[in-house]
Amino acid sequence: MLTKNSIIIFLCLVILFLCIEGFASERKKIEPLPPIPVPKNNPMTQEKIELGKKLFFDRRLSGDGTTSCASCHDPEKAFTDASEISLSYPTTRNFRNAPTLINSAYAKYLFWDGRAKTLEEQAEFPIMSPFEMNQNLDFVEEEIRIIPEYREAFKRIFGQDVNIKLIAKAIAAFERTLISKNAPIDRYLKGDKNALSSEAKKGFEIFKGKGKCIECHYGAYLSDQKFHALMIPENPKYANEDKFIVTRRYVAKINKYPDYMNIKEDLGRYFKTKKQKDYKAFKTPTLREVAKTAPYMHNGIFKSLDEVIEFFNKGGGKGNKVLKPLNLTEEEKRALKTFLVEALSGEDLKIKPPDIP
Amino acid sequence: MEGKVKLVIKFFPYRYRDYARIAAEAAVEAWKQGKFTEMHNLLIKNSPRLDRESLIAYAKELNMDVEKFIKAIDNKEGTSIIERDLKLAKELDLYVTPAFYINGIKVLGVRDSDYFKEIILKELENVNKK
Repeated sequence: MLTKNSIIIFLCLVILFLCIEGFASERKKIEPLPPIPVPKNNPMTQEKIELGKKLFFDRRLSGDGTTSCASCHDPEKAFTDASEISLSYPTTRNFRNAPTLINSAYAKYLFWDGRAKTLEEQAEFPIMSPFEMNQNLDFVEEEIRIIPEYREAFKRIFGQDVNIKLIAKAIAAFERTLISKNAPIDRYLKGDKNALSSEAKKGFEIFKGKGKCIECHYGAYLSDQKFHALMIPENPKYANEDKFIVTRRYVAKINKYPDYMNIKEDLGRYFKTKKQKDYKAFKTPTLREVAKTAPYMHNGIFKSLDEVIEFFNKGGGKGNKVLKPLNLTEEEKRALKTFLVEALSGEDLKIKPPDIP
Repeated sequence: MEGKVKLVIKFFPYRYRDYARIAAEAAVEAWKQGKFTEMHNLLIKNSPRLDRESLIAYAKELNMDVEKFIKAIDNKEGTSIIERDLKLAKELDLYVTPAFYINGIKVLGVRDSDYFKEIILKELENVNKK
């Protein structure tokens, strides 16, 4: 009886394993961008998008009135600030790189450590961060509420008076409009075989095959939406800078990391979860628009895609358990880069700053 | 690159810092006395020690006419120049320091020298092509 049961359990496990494997390989495809997912509690309307755009560019959202969301997510720089370490509140220092907002509508986690799960949730963090916009959330509500045009717009759009949750909703609605347009990869995947050059097609094969990029960069968003510890080195430029150390200690402290005074590395998602698997793990970024979003990694340590490809080719950072050397030839690296640059870059989004009330 | 690049510095004293404005006054007076670069470097090196007494000490260190220097910073003689630059920043919608324009290319925030070098070399190349 026991043997019979064991055999049944074993067979069930085999079937389950095959299903999981089949499902995983099924998932690991690159897909064209689908319509954006819109949360039920924040439907998109043109008026809400316009309001969100105004708030996105409004410097009132920062404590000293110098910084808007667009300062670090600059439309002219593919919604990044093109800095290794993102711009910061005057006299302070940020400690991570600003990711692009393009296609963030598809992200299941926001921030390098994934501490927010929606764009609505995300929007509040930089506003109140002392090293980013350094604004008080209760205070900013009043600063926005005092502007008649804003107040009327909130009443019209939400049927409510201004509050921080609605500010975040409007900003999120605007951000969901920032989507790659007409990228060659999308045209290619939809059947236009001439959308990619032969070199890019070679690169695509490397992306899916020997380069193993697709292991983590798949789906429409080109990310597994997970966190991996690739052991990216600390950026030596900032290692001994007081303001940088202050910020890192602060982040460790508010996340209740006991030895925050002696923290010497960015522990990434571990700060939030305290799980060993998340130790120095960071979110897999999307690769869409990657050619426009240098420098790369959570601390901007790599200036170019060549440096990134080299990092992966060598098997990642010291002591990582995720990557192995790829042994790509120079020709293969070139083709892979061509694919990343040519295939994944959509048309430039022409977003002009609106008039701020 | 030597002799091919012109650097123009504009004032943007950060409005919420106690000594930003008086430090800008000090720099204007140093410029009038032919010691702008030296004073600029001292201000950067010694920031945030930019109170009136410290500034006077820097003027002495640079062998400036200290009496004239004190009169200038106390009477805010650099105001018209500083205000002119602040107005320009506002027109350009600039709020971040440091901010740079390299042949019209806007660069915001602290960058390493390689970042500037790349843009400048490209711009010089473009000029040569023309």
